[in-house]
Amino acid sequence: MPDNQIDIQVIVNGQPTPIHANKNAPLHSIIGQALALTGNAGQPPENWELRDASGVLLPLDKKIESFNFPPNVKLFLNLKAGVGG
Amino acid sequence: MVTEQFVEPKVSRRKFEREIRDYRRNEDEYRKRGWLLIKASFPRVLVVLCATKVKPPAVITGVSFDFTNYDTLPPSIRLVNPFTGDPFKSSELPTSLKRQVVGPPVEGFQLPPGIVPPGGSPPRVITQQALMQSYGPDDIPFLCVAGVREYHDHPAHSGDAWELHRASGAGRLIRLLEVIDTYGVQPISGYNVELVPRVVGFIQSVVPE
Repeated sequence: MPDNQIDIQVIVNGQPTPIHANKNAPLHSIIGQALALTGNAGQPPENWELRDASGVLLPLDKKIESFNFPPNVKLFLNLKAGVGG
Repeated sequence: MVTEQFVEPKVSRRKFEREIRDYRRNEDEYRKRGWLLIKASFPRVLVVLCATKVKPPAVITGVSFDFTNYDTLPPSIRLVNPFTGDPFKSSELPTSLKRQVVGPPVEGFQLPPGIVPPGGSPPRVITQQALMQSYGPDDIPFLCVAGVREYHDHPAHSGDAWELHRASGAGRLIRLLEVIDTYGVQPISGYNVELVPRVVGFIQSVVPE
């Protein structure tokens, strides 16, 4: 695998999805892929949020490389809470 | 509220088992975050959420799910006493899941001279909204989020039907735990301690001969 590529496991609402990503791309680039692969077409990518295994919300505009993820890192993609009330 | 199982039980049970299987698949990661799956027996699940950042770690709340008629209906959710399973009344809630809401720009608002808002944009009102809603302190509150049965059963949300959210996974176990953890547990950073001093006598600095 080229140096600029990384395998990421995206857990979409609990369902694991392997993603092959370019390290130079922004993190949000993996959301569309993960949603397409899991058939989650009901909500646009901006309604989802990505967290690491500790539950920390990840900034989506940063390059994937800047997070220094280990290979096959697990990231957790879930729908945002939406508007309550 | 519907409590009878009218969906073919095999269907709901199979979808319930998928929820549990998906949870178990990453259970170690969830446990590190303070999520403990205590019981899973169709149609009910009990998960206990803990605050791992505070020292000593604290058990915050139990979350009881009822997947009866899932996913023709979304799951019912209650925050419960983690030891007895009894639902918390509004006045007993250990956390109300506060969320910060940024309002629209306030036009015409005059700031004191010399104060310039960031970006030069008009100021906005920032409020806190509790995602756990009820009408009074003795009511059992509900989680006011799409994907929760009590939310969609509420007459105020008749325009936001479950069918609009069903396919997006809004009612899935992991997603709802994530919402409760994000707003109800992760923001907890320490203990709020109240000390009440009591006068028990006088301090005598010297004892004369």
